[in-house]
Amino acid sequence: MTVLQEPVQAAVWQALNHYAYLDAVFLAERLYAEVHSEEALYLLATCYYRSGKAYKAYRLLKAHSCSTPQVRFLLAKCCVELSKLAEGEQVLIGGVLNKQKSQDDIVMEFGDSASFTLSLLGHIYCKTDRVAKGAECFQRSLTLNPFLWSPFQSLCHLGEKLDPDQVFRLSSVALPPPSVSPAQNSSHRLDTALMETPQDTLELNRLNLESSNGKLTSDLSVSYIDSSLISPETGSLLANTVSMATAGSLLVKQNKPKSGRSLLGGPAALSPLTPSFGILPLEPSPGDPTYLQNYSTTMETQSTAPNKKSVSRISQSKSVFSQSGNSRDVLPIPFNQTQTSAPHTSGSPQVLSTSMSGPPNVQPRRSSRLFTSASSTAKENSKKLKMKFPTKIPNRKTKCKSAKTSNSSNLNESLDILRLDSSLSLPDTKIPQYQRAAADSVMALLRELGRGYQALCSYNCREAISVLSSLPPQHYNTGWVLTHVGRAYFELAEYTQAERVFSEVRQMESYRVEGMEIYSTTLWHLQKDVALSALSKDLTDMDKNCPQSWCVAGNCFSLQREHDIAIKFFQRAIQVDPSFAYAYTLLGHEFVLTEELDRALACFRNAIRVNNRHYNAWYGLGMIYYKQEKFNLAEIHFKKALSINPQSSVLLCHIGVVQHALKKSEAALETLNRAIRIDPKNPLCKFHRASILFANDKYKAALQELEELKQIVPKESLVYFLIGKVYKKLGQTHLALMNFSWAMDLDPKGANNQIKEAIDKRYLPEDEDGDSQDSSVMTDADDTQLHTAESDDVL
Amino acid sequence: MATPSKTPPGANPKQLERTGTVREIGSQAVWSLSSCKPGFGVDQLRDDNLETYWQSDGSQPHLVNIQFRRRTTVKMLCIYADYKSDESYTPSKISVRVGNNFHNLQEVRSLEMVEPSGWIHISLMNQRTNEPISTFMIQIAVLANHQNGRDTHMRQIKVYTPVEESSIGKFPRCTTVDFMMYRTIR
Repeated sequence: MTVLQEPVQAAVWQALNHYAYLDAVFLAERLYAEVHSEEALYLLATCYYRSGKAYKAYRLLKAHSCSTPQVRFLLAKCCVELSKLAEGEQVLIGGVLNKQKSQDDIVMEFGDSASFTLSLLGHIYCKTDRVAKGAECFQRSLTLNPFLWSPFQSLCHLGEKLDPDQVFRLSSVALPPPSVSPAQNSSHRLDTALMETPQDTLELNRLNLESSNGKLTSDLSVSYIDSSLISPETGSLLANTVSMATAGSLLVKQNKPKSGRSLLGGPAALSPLTPSFGILPLEPSPGDPTYLQNYSTTMETQSTAPNKKSVSRISQSKSVFSQSGNSRDVLPIPFNQTQTSAPHTSGSPQVLSTSMSGPPNVQPRRSSRLFTSASSTAKENSKKLKMKFPTKIPNRKTKCKSAKTSNSSNLNESLDILRLDSSLSLPDTKIPQYQRAAADSVMALLRELGRGYQALCSYNCREAISVLSSLPPQHYNTGWVLTHVGRAYFELAEYTQAERVFSEVRQMESYRVEGMEIYSTTLWHLQKDVALSALSKDLTDMDKNCPQSWCVAGNCFSLQREHDIAIKFFQRAIQVDPSFAYAYTLLGHEFVLTEELDRALACFRNAIRVNNRHYNAWYGLGMIYYKQEKFNLAEIHFKKALSINPQSSVLLCHIGVVQHALKKSEAALETLNRAIRIDPKNPLCKFHRASILFANDKYKAALQELEELKQIVPKESLVYFLIGKVYKKLGQTHLALMNFSWAMDLDPKGANNQIKEAIDKRYLPEDEDGDSQDSSVMTDADDTQLHTAESDDVL
Repeated sequence: MATPSKTPPGANPKQLERTGTVREIGSQAVWSLSSCKPGFGVDQLRDDNLETYWQSDGSQPHLVNIQFRRRTTVKMLCIYADYKSDESYTPSKISVRVGNNFHNLQEVRSLEMVEPSGWIHISLMNQRTNEPISTFMIQIAVLANHQNGRDTHMRQIKVYTPVEESSIGKFPRCTTVDFMMYRTIR
C-alpha cells in the first residue's frame, strides 16, 4: 500500500525536518483529506505531535480507528502526555474486556519499536502504582534495546538493583536494525546507500587518502556507526563510538538521493539490506544518522598516556562526529578496526574535529531530523567531502600535535547518533565487525555511566564520584556528569565541593535546569545569598515552566527568611509540575519554619506519595514528630530515611539525639559513633555526643570532646556554652562563667535566654560577677562589641 | 521614658526578621479595632505600607485587639508612629495589655512617646523571668495623643515571636555556618 513516490509525503517530511510545522500540518491535512489512509492519518498526527499539540493528535487519532502499531504507539504517547494513563494503557495492551497482551505479544507486534513501547508502558505502570510490572517492562525494554537510558534511569529511581554490565550489553541483541527514516522517503534511500557502500567506500577511501595522506602524519579513520535505532521523542541518544584506526581511511559513504520511498514502506518494499524498517518508519532516527558525518580523527599512533586510565577502554570507541551540512544518508563507514592494536589500548583518544559546516547536532529532541534537504545528492556530498577534508586537515594537523597530549581539548563533544547497520551484508566483511565494535564501545561508556548513576541512586556517593571521575575528560566535563557528581557531593554533605562542581556546570551549560534545585539547596546550606539570588533570577528568566527554577527562587527567599514568599514559589513549582517530589519537600520545610506543622506534614506525605524513595521527605516527617515530641514516631521515620540513604551522617546524628530523648543513651552513643566514623568532619555529631556524655555525667569525656570541637569550629558559641555548663557541673564556676561570656559574645544577635539563664541560675559564689554578666545582656550589638574586645584579650 | 527628649526611632523590623531570631506572626491572629474611619481600618494597619494608616473615630481609649488562635509566645511589638506626618494624631501614651479574653486583660507595658519618628519597639518580656509572654490576646490601647488630639493614626503594627531554631536537641541556635550546614537535611 505504500506508494513509492509520494511527493506530498516527501514534502511533509521535509517540512518537518526543517521544523516548519505550519507548512507540514497544512500539507498533511490536505493529504489526509485526499487520501484518508491510515498512513496519512499517522503523518498528520505526527505533525501535530511534533508541533507540540499533543491534544490535537490525540483527538484526531481517537476519532479514527487505529490498527497499525505505530499509530497506536503515537496515540498512547499522546495519552500519556495528556495524563490519560488508563487510556494509554488500554491502547497499548488492550482493554479490560479484551484479552490483555503480554509483553511478548507486544514485542512481536511492535517489532522494532517494542523497546519504546515497553518503556512507555513501564512509565504508565509506575505512575499507576504497579511498580513491579513497570520494572518488568523497563527491564524488557532494556534487553531489547540497551541504548535506551530512560528505562535504566527509571529502574534506578525505583531502587532496583541492576547490573549495568549486564544491561548495557549488545551481545545478546543484534545490533539495532536501521529504521526507516522519513528522509529516505523524500530523497534518499538507506538501502541503496548501503548497497553503494562498498563502491563508494572505496572511492571515498581514495579520496580521503589523497587528501589526508599527504598532510597528516597519522592516519585518520573514521568509523561511523549507523544505528538505526529509532530515537524516540525523548531523544535518547546513542553515544557513538568510533574506534580509531591506525591506517585511516576516511570512508564515507554517500547515499545517492533517491526519491520516493514511501514513508510507511513495509519491509517488503525495502531492500534486503535493510530488512526491518520497522514499525515506526516515521521515527526520526534514521534521518539523523543519515547525516553525513564527516569527522576526522587524529589518532596518535604513539602511545600517549591517557589522561585517565579508563580512557583506554572507552576512548577507542569514542568518536566525535560532526554532521556535515546537508548530507543525508550517512553512510556507515567501515574503518580499520585495528584499533584494538596498540594505539587504542594506549588510550589515545580520538580527536575529532567537527566538520566545518556542522549543522545542528544530532541529538534530536524530536525526531525531526529526518531529512536533510533533498538537494543533497551524492555528488554534492562528495563535493562537500572534498571540501571538507582540506579544511579539516589543518585542524587535524594541529590536533595531531596537541592531541598527543590532551585529547579532551580538541575533542568536539558532539556525539551523534550512529546508525548501526547490522544487516549490511557487504562484501567487506569487516564493516559489521567494526560497527559492532563501535557499538560495544558505546556500551562501555553507558556501562560506566550506568554504574555511576546506580551508585548515586543507592547513595553510595563515594563510589559514584570515583566511577564518574574516571570517565574520559570529554565526557566528564559535560553537564549531566558534573551535575551528578555535584549531587553526590551534596548527599555527602560536602557542600563546598558540591558548590564548586555545580558552578562549573553553570558555566558550561547555562541552559541546564536539571539539578539546579540541588545547587540552590547547596547554596542555601552555605548561606551564599548573593549567588543564590543570581541563580534564581537567571533561571526564572530563562524558564518559567520548569519546577526547578521555582524551587531555586523559593530557596532564595527562604534564605532571606521571607518564608511567605518562599512558600508561594514552592507552590508555584508544584503547580508547574505536580510530579516533582522535591518541591513538596521544600514546601514542607518552609511550613515547618512558619510553624504550620499540619500543612508541613501534608506536604511531606505528598512528596512520599510521588516518590517513595525520597528520603528527605521521610526525614522531614521525622523532624515534625520530633518537634511534637513524639520521639518514637520520629525515630521510625528517621530510620526509614536512613534505610534509603545509609551514609548520611546528619541522619545518624538526628537518630542519635532522638534515641537519647527516648532514654536509650547507649544506643544513641553508638549511633553517633557510627556517624562520626562515616563523616569525621561533621561537627554536630561530636557536639551531640558531648552533650549526651554530659547528660550521662561523663564530664571528662565530654570536655575532651568539646575541646576537640573547639579546635575544629572555634567560633561556635554553642560549644562554649556547653563547656560552660560542664564546668559548672564540675563546680569550676570561674571557668564556667568565662565560657558563658565567650558564648554570649559569639552570639550577639541571639541574646540567648539559655545562656543568660545558665549564668543566672541559682547561686554563684561570686555574685558580683553574676550581676555584671546579667546586666550586659543586650540585643544591641554595640555593647557586646565591648565585651568581645575584652574577651579577645582574655582569649 | 517620660523625658522631654524625643523618642528615638528603633531599627527597621525587617532587619530584625533577617537575623532569624524573630518571626512576624500577625498573620496568625485576628485583628480588630475599637473604631475606625471608613477606608482607614485594619487593612491599612497591616498592609506593610507606611503611607497608609488606621484612623480611629471614637472616644479614647482607642484599642487594637490582636487575638490568636492558640496561646502564642510574643517577644515584641513594633509600632510605627511619625510625629511629623501625623502631628496631633500621633499617639503619646500607649498601654499594652495581655490576657485570655476581653475580660481578662492585664497591663504589662505602658509607655509614653515624645514626638516619635519611626519604629517603636515594645519588648514584651516578662520582667522577672526574662521570657517572652505567652498569651491568647494582646490589646494595644492608645490613651492619649500628642497635643491632646482626639483620634489617632497608627501606620503599622508588627507582632514578633521568638524563633527557636535549634532543629535538634534543646540547644540555642548555632552561630557559625559550619554548624548550621549540618543542622538539617533539606
